[in-house]
Amino acid sequence: MLRMTHALIAAAALALALVPAAHAADATRVALVPGGPHPYFAAWEKAGQDAKKDFNLGAADYRVPQKWQLSEQNSLLESLLSQGYNAFLVFPGDPVGSNATVQELTENGAPVIATAGCLKEPTTALFCFGTDTGHSAYLGTKELIKAMGGKGRIAHFTGFLVDPNTQLRIDAVEQAAKETNGAVKVVQVIADIDAPGPAEEKINAYLAAHANDVDGIITTAWVPAVVASNALRRIGDKRIKMVAIDHDPVVLKAIKDGFVNGTMLQNPYGQGYIGSYALDRIRHGCKVKKDAPFKTIALTNRFIDSGTVYADKSAVDNYVGAMQAITKTIFAGFEKTYLDCP
Amino acid sequence: MKDSGAVRPHEAMTSGARARFAGAVLTNEFGLVLLILLFGMLFALGTRGFASPFNLFTLGRIMAINIMIGYSMMVVIVTGGLDLSVGAIGVCAAMFFGWLSQRLGLPLVVTIPGALAMGAALGAVNGQLIVRSGLHSFIITLATMSVFFGFMEFVTRAQAFRGLPPAILAVGRMRYFGYVSPLLLVSAGVGLGLSALYRLTPLGREMLAAGANPAAAELSGVRVKRVIVQCHMLAGALAGIAALMAIARTGAAIPSMAGDLGQDWLLPAFLGPVLGGALLSGGRVSVLGAFLGSALVSELTNGLLQFRVGEFWVQTYLGLLLMAAVLIDLARRKLVARLGVAP
Repeated sequence: MLRMTHALIAAAALALALVPAAHAADATRVALVPGGPHPYFAAWEKAGQDAKKDFNLGAADYRVPQKWQLSEQNSLLESLLSQGYNAFLVFPGDPVGSNATVQELTENGAPVIATAGCLKEPTTALFCFGTDTGHSAYLGTKELIKAMGGKGRIAHFTGFLVDPNTQLRIDAVEQAAKETNGAVKVVQVIADIDAPGPAEEKINAYLAAHANDVDGIITTAWVPAVVASNALRRIGDKRIKMVAIDHDPVVLKAIKDGFVNGTMLQNPYGQGYIGSYALDRIRHGCKVKKDAPFKTIALTNRFIDSGTVYADKSAVDNYVGAMQAITKTIFAGFEKTYLDCP
Repeated sequence: MKDSGAVRPHEAMTSGARARFAGAVLTNEFGLVLLILLFGMLFALGTRGFASPFNLFTLGRIMAINIMIGYSMMVVIVTGGLDLSVGAIGVCAAMFFGWLSQRLGLPLVVTIPGALAMGAALGAVNGQLIVRSGLHSFIITLATMSVFFGFMEFVTRAQAFRGLPPAILAVGRMRYFGYVSPLLLVSAGVGLGLSALYRLTPLGREMLAAGANPAAAELSGVRVKRVIVQCHMLAGALAGIAALMAIARTGAAIPSMAGDLGQDWLLPAFLGPVLGGALLSGGRVSVLGAFLGSALVSELTNGLLQFRVGEFWVQTYLGLLLMAAVLIDLARRKLVARLGVAP
């Protein structure tokens, strides 16, 4: 009995030691929540830390669901609200399936910005702040077609089908090819491969069997870009042109070495930094302008482009500078352009 | 000094009541209730949000889904079998519901029974394959897990149904008394129905008999093969209910709702019934135990997230806590054996 009493006291002491520190009621506590573990979102962690310091936030924590699964993300978001986070940057696990949870967050007084991916309207999220993925894929394909001399066959390697951006990317690549009046054809789309296992298996198998049948590769997701860069390095003849996405060191090295022509840079740091700032301003009385110059994309008519830029061999060394320049430009005019503040 | 003579009537009654009390206190279900209360107190004391109405509501909602998934596996474990395809069946039922609602525009009175019928039909496929092939349900359902899921992906092109009736989402968001999800009441109601099935109906007793000793059951006139098919049909229908609950939570029928091949449902499917005291060899289950076992696992997961142990550590800590729960339960069983009390 005595032993049990000691155990219970110890458990209670442990529990009390783990009680989070009390936070000022009005401090903005931002949670930056991606759809699951993915290297693209790694920049959100630094963005949150910088935003916390620069804007004096109560917290700006990067919290990752264990798996790339909607139910895991929903559980985490619900839990974070209970833990006292009062503002959310969320990459929606599903453009509709995430809406119910987002609505619960906003009904409990926590503003939400759909970040890096959009929610389908109607949604209670303030707006969507991310890469215009369709436009980025379109521009990347245009660059690829230019590198291919305006004709040839393209293979497109892309991300999770559950990612709201994937279909937009597939459509955009098709659109860019169509504009060549048949000179360029998309001969293969391989989707659902934004993870090392499936990407290695499917891209390598495809290139082993069909490398001679394609003249260009466009990748519109992080992991396929890395795997395809390595595959082209192994093939080694540089006949196949490729435009990648994002800034993985493998991709950047392949661009420098001439195996990949260039990459479409996105701005995850800017999304996390400016998004945290916007949430804090909203929590302190600002409103989103009704007549703000939002873009309209397939999912929403309240879209803000976080910027994208093509970086080839000449620009690849300064990719960080390029991303920071985009962030600086958007940040400078953000409040004036999109918010009404007292 | 003890009376060594004959036991008097009032003393016999007292001793019988004591034994019954000790038996009730030392049951598996009582142990689970204690663990739920113990961890509940720990989480409520140790975190700022665990006991908040919003968290209790969301915990109840996810608990309801996990309990239903646990029931789905439990009704097959009764026969000494397994159903690895519960997740795949659930997703198929969900997508069928989405197709009936969104594409055909049918009302809920048609689409809900339709989804359950789809689940039961796929369960029947499992059952028929098992009894006709004579292979263990592990092999058959491992195969049908891929077949069902792959067929669903082919038919739907992995596209979600997102234009579902708002009423189904409204059920997922509804709260009684500020923190009770109606989904939890559905799980409790289905649990009562299953208890009645096993305790009060000949079919339920046949299911238990077929699992305890198939040969003896056959000799007693139980059509064991038919019973096995019926158990798998019931499992499919219950997986369909779990899928509808998941839809009520998100408002969409999504192919990835149970992970790749529906595998994300396997852990909750096994943990609830096994912690609840179901015998994997068949013949004995506890519906209340499965309910409480699933509730405990859901509570632990939620509490660990509240404790901010780090999202990637949740599985490790969950495993450690479950191991602790099992050891505590083992100690309780040893105590039962030492006291010689039948729980």
